[in-house]
Amino acid sequence: MLENLKVASFLAFKQIQRGSKGTLILTLMIIALVFVNLVFLPSIISGVVETFNSQSINFNYGNLVIEPREGEQYISDVDTLQKKVERIPGIAGTSPRISTGVTYFYKGHDARSTLYGINPQDERSVTKIHENMIRGEFLSAGDTDTIIMGAILAGTEGEEGGGLPTLQGVQVGDSVEVAFPNGERRTFQVKGIYETQSIGVDTSAFTTTDPVAQVLGLEDQASEILVKTAVDGQEEMYRTRLFSYGIQQQVFTFQQKAAGFVDQAIQSFEIINAISTLVSLIIAVVVIFIVIFINTVNKRRQIGILKAIGIDKQIIINSYVLQVLFIATLGALVGIVLTAGVIYYLTVNPLVFPGGPVFPVVEPATVLRSIASLFVVSVIAGYIPAWKTAREEILDAIQR
Amino acid sequence: MIVAEEITRVYRMGKVEVRALRGVSFTIADGEFVGITGASGSGKSTLLHILGLLDRPTSGRVLIDDRDVQRLSDRQQTLFRLKRLGYVFQDYALIPELTAIENVIITSLARGVSEKEYLGRGAEVLREVGLGGRTNHRQSELSGGEQQRVAIARAIVNKPSILLADEPCANLDSETSKSILDLFKQLNEDLHQTIVMVSHEKWHERYFCRIIDLKDGRINSMRECNVNR
Ligand SMILES: Nc1ncnc2c1ncn2[C@@H]1O[C@H](COP(=O)(O)OP(=O)(O)OP(=O)(O)O)[C@@H](O)[C@H]1O
Ligand SMILES: [Mg+2]
Repeated sequence: MLENLKVASFLAFKQIQRGSKGTLILTLMIIALVFVNLVFLPSIISGVVETFNSQSINFNYGNLVIEPREGEQYISDVDTLQKKVERIPGIAGTSPRISTGVTYFYKGHDARSTLYGINPQDERSVTKIHENMIRGEFLSAGDTDTIIMGAILAGTEGEEGGGLPTLQGVQVGDSVEVAFPNGERRTFQVKGIYETQSIGVDTSAFTTTDPVAQVLGLEDQASEILVKTAVDGQEEMYRTRLFSYGIQQQVFTFQQKAAGFVDQAIQSFEIINAISTLVSLIIAVVVIFIVIFINTVNKRRQIGILKAIGIDKQIIINSYVLQVLFIATLGALVGIVLTAGVIYYLTVNPLVFPGGPVFPVVEPATVLRSIASLFVVSVIAGYIPAWKTAREEILDAIQR
Repeated sequence: MIVAEEITRVYRMGKVEVRALRGVSFTIADGEFVGITGASGSGKSTLLHILGLLDRPTSGRVLIDDRDVQRLSDRQQTLFRLKRLGYVFQDYALIPELTAIENVIITSLARGVSEKEYLGRGAEVLREVGLGGRTNHRQSELSGGEQQRVAIARAIVNKPSILLADEPCANLDSETSKSILDLFKQLNEDLHQTIVMVSHEKWHERYFCRIIDLKDGRINSMRECNVNR
């Protein structure tokens, strides 16, 4: 057995050493590129998911969202509820929000969008909007008639929003008039402009709780309470914990809130990925198959000779499989280097998606799976032609 | 002992049949040095292929040491060739990607001989056939006669009990031919190897114990010779 392997690797080594370098390099590059293709798209998809998750947590929802009981419009006794939630272990912060659809007016422009009434202190403990101010400042506790605005809503002078609500050029210090659903109008002074790259957030605006509560006639009430947990990724567990501590309201994880949109996007991505994986594997099979096939057909005679002098068929087949394994290993290594290059480039120059900048995330499982499938494919594509050629009658192979 | 019983070999090429062997029977004892002669196309190579388990007769049997070798499985035949036979092809049949010595030692490698031993033995055999200075040359860097001698070295390196050689001296000058035949004779005498060799040359006859002469796929004559042994 060991002898057989020795002979097979001896033959494989000599063939690689003395065979055509051009073919070797070509095959190697093709395998390397297939590897890049196998790893690249999944890493972008993972990146999209990652970006989407962190954007959702940092700007849209926190980790969990408490909403009013079924059939009710607002959560009541917010103070008590907030304290209760904050006492639950593993809860890092809560932020009650009142949200309402309003129309903004500014210098002859108007835009319909959402206005949130928040407690600045609380909001800081959950979202990172305060870290993303591009002009001016975030709200502070005593503010009553100030507002901060998303970059898209604030807009740029002379630029239509392309379907998105925009006031085309609001500056810090300007006054913006807000019309509430009940017809009441109030004027706010713009204190800051933020940019989060999440469209929903960047087309909205925030003010403090009091003015919104006054207009809507709310007392100790909120539309939702965002909850930040100590660690990300365990939302389901925390959700269950909230219920076990007696929270009566509805509780959603950010994934549930974001569902639909992302799920659909991811699903489409997965389909594209599956197709691209399949296609690149087929390319790999065909190329390796052709290369080994041409190789073995050219070597019919010497395969016949080897059999004639007493070298077992299996040894001959194995020598070709070993060559393929060698090429696949080198190809995968080159592929890893190329992938690293592409990933590095995209990390420095991230792709910009609607949900925010996407950094490719390479998961070890993807890499391992790609290597494994490349090997399986290579071995199959190497084995079959070698096997077919080695099966031929000795004299047929030697003489013609 | 090699026993051939009524061997026939018919090549079918579409509708045309070529009857290369038409019933050949003989017995070759262990340690015999047999020459096979005959005109071109008389079936010498075909016969040697069958004795060498490289081809199957259309009918008839070959027994080697009372074993019907046609009954062996493919794998057993391969093993038999590796362990018992040495074969010199009429057209050398070297592996172009291997050097002279690599061609010679590849079967030793498969037999599990230690590296030290096969390298030493490989070099020794190449010296014996007069290629001591050519061990690392590849086929394309060797002359026809040199290639033929590499093929001879490969066939005898493992000291096989049966050596089959198809015109092993066809491309050699008479002096080199003589040294090769002397080598064969020595193997035959010292190691009691059975040698079956196809030959055209009249003067080779003095090396043979017996000559089987073929004509049109049949045995034309069989005669003891070897007066000078
Ligand atoms: N593969 C084959 N297919 C068809 N016919 C063949 C084949 N091999 C040999 N023959 C025919 O069989 C006959 C015997 O051939 P063989 O090679 O045994 O002759 P030979 O005695 O070795 O001749 P030479 O001295 O020229 O080598 C020839 O007529 C040849 O044409
Ligand atoms: Mg011949």
